[in-house]
Order: sequence, then C-alpha cells, then structure tokens
Amino acid sequence: MADIVNLFEVEPGQTVRLHGDATAEVVSNPRDGVWLFVRYLTSPDDPDQVGTEDMVFAQDVLELVTD
Amino acid sequence: MAITFQPSAYSGLVDHDNGMVSREIFVNSDIYAEEQERIFTRAWLFVGHESQIAKPGDFFVSSMGEESVILCRDRQGEIHVFLNSCMHRGMKVCRYDEGNTPIFTCPYHGWSFATDGALVGVPFYKDAYHEELDKSQWGLIRVPRMTNYKGGIWATWDENAPDFLEYIGGFRTYLDILFDGWDGAEGGTEVIGGIEKWLVPSNWKFPAENFIGDRYHNISHRSVDLVGIGPSGQGRRDTRERDGARALDISFPERGHGTIVFLRPADAQPVPSYQNDPVIADYFYQSEIARKERQGQLWRIMGGPGTIFPNMSYLPRQPRSIAVWHPRGPDQTEVWRWFLVDKSAPPEVKEFLRQYYIRYSGPSGLTEQDDMENWNYAHAASRGAMARRHHYNYQMGMGYAVTDFEDGGLSIPGTVLDVTKARAGEQNQRGFYSRWADFMAARDWDELAGWRNNGNGSAC
Amino acid sequence: MVVANDPLAMLLLKQDVETFLYHEANLLDDRRYEEWLALLTDDVRYWVPMRRNVKFGELEREFTREGQDINWFDEGKDTLTRRVNQILTGVHWAEEPLSRISHLVTNVEIVDATPSASNAEGVALRCRFIIYRNRVATETDILVGRREDTLRREDGGWRIAQRQVFLDQNVLLAKNLTFFF
Repeated sequence: MADIVNLFEVEPGQTVRLHGDATAEVVSNPRDGVWLFVRYLTSPDDPDQVGTEDMVFAQDVLELVTD
Repeated sequence: MAITFQPSAYSGLVDHDNGMVSREIFVNSDIYAEEQERIFTRAWLFVGHESQIAKPGDFFVSSMGEESVILCRDRQGEIHVFLNSCMHRGMKVCRYDEGNTPIFTCPYHGWSFATDGALVGVPFYKDAYHEELDKSQWGLIRVPRMTNYKGGIWATWDENAPDFLEYIGGFRTYLDILFDGWDGAEGGTEVIGGIEKWLVPSNWKFPAENFIGDRYHNISHRSVDLVGIGPSGQGRRDTRERDGARALDISFPERGHGTIVFLRPADAQPVPSYQNDPVIADYFYQSEIARKERQGQLWRIMGGPGTIFPNMSYLPRQPRSIAVWHPRGPDQTEVWRWFLVDKSAPPEVKEFLRQYYIRYSGPSGLTEQDDMENWNYAHAASRGAMARRHHYNYQMGMGYAVTDFEDGGLSIPGTVLDVTKARAGEQNQRGFYSRWADFMAARDWDELAGWRNNGNGSAC
Repeated sequence: MVVANDPLAMLLLKQDVETFLYHEANLLDDRRYEEWLALLTDDVRYWVPMRRNVKFGELEREFTREGQDINWFDEGKDTLTRRVNQILTGVHWAEEPLSRISHLVTNVEIVDATPSASNAEGVALRCRFIIYRNRVATETDILVGRREDTLRREDGGWRIAQRQVFLDQNVLLAKNLTFFF
C-alpha cells in the first residue's frame, strides 16, 4: 500500500490519483491538510466530471502522480 | 429552546429608586446563566475592528458572551460573523486567533466552510450521503445582525434588535470620540497589532461598571499617580487640558450606556499636551486645533472612560483603547483589549502611544493592575451567605441629575450629573443596573426599546 | 550553543553566569528591587511578547513584535524603575500585601561569548524559568517559559543588557504581571 499523502506537500499544477481511479490536476491548495481544489482529468465512473472543478477530501487522494 | 420568561423572577435585585443593587446578581450562578440568554443573545456586542480583517480571507476569532465567533472578510470583501462551531458535531472550526484562509475546515470529520459561511466540503458526500444532504441548509451559523460603525464591528444574535445606531442613541456623540481621528476625521482610527487577553477572577459587571464612570475609585490609582506614567511624565494622564473644565457624568439609563466627560469652557483654546517630546506635543496640539475647527462647540467635550451596555468599555483619549469583558462563569472574566491610534499619525506618535498604552493598561499596566485587585476581592468577599444578604450602595448623587444640561450654548446629550464640585457620582452605575434589570425582565425588543414609547427617540 | 574550542573556559563562564542568574533571582525573590535594578544596564531592553495561536507553517506570526505591536512588556530602564517605585509606594494594591515569589532558573545554555569564553565581556544565554507566585491566601500563579538574556560586563560584574521572555501562555492566566521575569 502506498503511503498516504500529506496534502501540505501537494503543489498546484501537480496531478493526483483519486478514489474511484479518477485523476485530477491540483488547482489550489487551501493548506488545511484536509482538502484540495482540483480539476478532473479522467473519471472512469463519471465521465461528465472531466474538466469540472471540485474539492477533494484527503482520504480520497490516493497518491501524487509523479512524472 | 426558547427561554421561559418570568419577568418577576429578578425584580427587587436592582432597587434603582433607593440606589441599591443585590450582590446576588454578581455571584449567583443561576442568574449568571440567565444573563447569557437574556443579555448576551439580545444586546449588540463588540467583536472587533475592520483594520484587523483588511483583506479578503482575513479572519479574527472573537467572542460574543461565552461563545467563540469568527469575524472574517469573504472573498468578495464582505464582512461576516459566524458561530465558531461545526454544524455536524459542534467542533470548533477555527482554533487559531487570526490569519488568512480560503476555508475553515473542521478537524473532526472534515466538513469545510467557505469564508462566506457556506458549507463547501463534505467528506464522502457522494458515497455516504448519496448527494442528498442539502449543503445550503448547513452553513456556519451566521450572526444575523452586524454593523460596521466607523471601523468598529458590532453584532447581535437578535434579529429583532434595533439598528445599532438606535441602540446607542444619543451616546453616539461620545462613541465617536473613540473611533474618529484626534482631529475629528471620521473613523480615522486603526488597531495596533496584538490584542491583550487575560483572566480576572471577578464577575464581568465589576469592570463594566467601573468604566462607566467610577470617578470615586481614584484612590485605587494612588501609586501610579505618585510614580507618574502620563504623556507629560506626571500622573497617569495629561490633565492640564482639563483646567477649567466641568466634570460631567453622562448616563443613558433607558439604554444602559454611560461615560465620563470633561467639558471645556466656552472660550477655551487648545493647550499644549503630551509634552514629553516636541514632535508628539505638536501632533496633538495641531490635531486639537483641527478638531476645534471641524467640530466647533462639540470640541469642548473631552471624552473619558465609558461603557456601552453590556460589556464593551473604552477609553477614548488616554490611553485610547477598547476593553470587552467576556463572561466566563459568574466568578471569572476574560478581558480582551484593543488599542487604537490615528491611522494618519506619524510613526513617532504611534510609537509614543504604543509605549504609553503598554505601561498604562492590561495586566502589565501600572494603572490597571490595581483595578483588577479591587474587582477580584470585591467579588470574592461578596460570595458568602451573609455577604449576599447586603446590597451594594449606589446612592451617590441621587436626585441631582438633569436631562437638559446646557452650557454656553452647547446642549449635552444624555442625563447629566455635574460632578465638578462633587468630584464623583454614581448615576451612571445606577443607569447600567436599571438597564440590566430591564434586560432580565423583558420578553423581547418591543419591551426593551422603551424609548420608542416615551418620545425619547433615537436622537436622544 | 557556541562551539567550545576552549571547553574549560566555557565551563568556568557557564558557572560564572549561572551564579549571576541565581543571585539575580534571589534579589527579586528577597524583594531587594533597587539592588535588582542596579543589575540592569542603563540601556537595557526588556521585552515580553504576547503569543498567538497560528496555523501550521505560519509560526513567524506567533509572537507579537518588539517595537511594533502591543506586548506584555516592551520597555527600558525608565519604565522598569517606575514599576519598582510603584511597589515601594506601599499603596500599589496589586502588590500590597506583597506576593511570595520563587524564580526557578534552569536549562542555562551559553549561546555566544564575546570576544571569547576565556575573556568574555558579553554573553548571550538561553534558559528556562518557572515563576511560582502565591499571594494573600490562596491566589496562586505558575508561569513557565523561555528566557533569552544578553549580559554585559560593567564595573567588574555582569549586567543585564537585554531580556526577552517567551511565556507559554496565550490568554494570560494571571490577573496581573506585577512581578519581574
């Protein structure tokens, strides 16, 4: 199992893999350690989400996708 | 949830006509609990100053009565006051004193609120709530009435409370001296960084009544007067400007507010003050000249300590500050003190005042230290079964106040007790406690706004 | 901690400084305030900031700033002397009757010695304090924190040129600060 992500270490512009295997680009980080503002890049469960912005919860952030 | 009002429950505790107040209202825990409902959920309370939340996202955690509230400026620049408690399970959503943030996130289950109070983040919203939770119904509890008067932010939980300006009525003349610049410029003040917060083992009403106009306790400050910390190096204040002035105690008993003022003679001219340093002295001298030009006759009124009912006290001139007496149980008060300076004052003046404020006020202040000793042990010695049977005496100056005080063509708003010769009086305290009794008895603001019925309107 | 290229000199200096600090604490606790004042340089700076709760990553805003914000104390010898004189009026009710106080000074570290440990004319040190105050009957305060002092050698003895006191409290739990740190 991958280590859990400390959201303080996530920067805008980075990509995160989310619960449900979606991926999203980080738009901004409110730096509360609990939430991120993201834009969906892929969303197998709900393709309509792609391109939309949302807040994602720390427990739904599975990993930081590194290039 | 509504409290069951029994208007007669506390009658007799404040005997206005005989100038006596029962010690029970200071030490009785049942009465204290009722105060939280009857006074602190209905009165206008001071929560902070706009200069503390200058930018979008800025917040300052304050207190209304016992309860923690968040004063913040949202992304659109609008100011709000929220109860600092998560709507899901009550956790404090903000445990910082101040800062800047895009959202307030509860650390318990993760609910998150925007700076306009909206619930924006709910963990497992899709999976666990099936997207059925109506987020629009679960935003932070907003204090329904809020006003920004000359930079001071005030709020009340009672939607039916009168507007703030009606709440203060004619007292506005005196409150303006606090928030306007020294030269009279409208709202020309700002807060210096650093809010003093400390605990005093005393009921919150002791300091509130002390500030409303207790000239009699001067002996408390004998030691600082002997040592001298004032802006001209002597005493604790600059008193030369008071030469020839009349000493007036001003009360608004139908509202509960009161203050001390000094009234300069009709032909008075500005006199040099703050003479420890020529730059400082010149600033205040020029400001007085400008204020006189701007205000004419009103310039003659020099503000002294005052209290806005129930728990906001202030010193408009020396040292210019606001104190809020947050109730923390019948036997304890958490004092918060803000210090104000003219926004446009040169740095030397701000620095001079900063040092004066520190040596005068608060737990490290040479003056205020002795006040707290009195409040502490007056309270402690009033708790016993025998002590409680005996009322405090507030009879000084009874029957000598007038409602139409006029001097040299200037009408003075409020009920005025001229204490120039007497040197002290207690009408302001009597006004405070009769208003306290009104609040404890009245069902609603229709009853509390008694001035609407007796023609003694908001302009009073 | 300063690199001790002369360990013996450091040891002696630390002993010397500790002896001074304990002597100073004794003067305060013995209410020999005027003798205590004489241990302060004429240009002494005495600063006790207030302390905020701030968000992770914003610790630079934790303390109120010397010379800019309201602080518990931010002053020099003139005001400190007035504080002493106030206690000595006999009518400073917050200290009448006087508090019973013990200063416990501990965790003393020499941070810097100039020009050298063996020949020090100035010392920067860090220590911890516990101040126990009991007054009247049951009134009790315990204040704990960190102190950063700068000492200077004058007239053959150590004098305090700067004292910075970092209290471990947010809302001050004591009703007043009528004593010295």
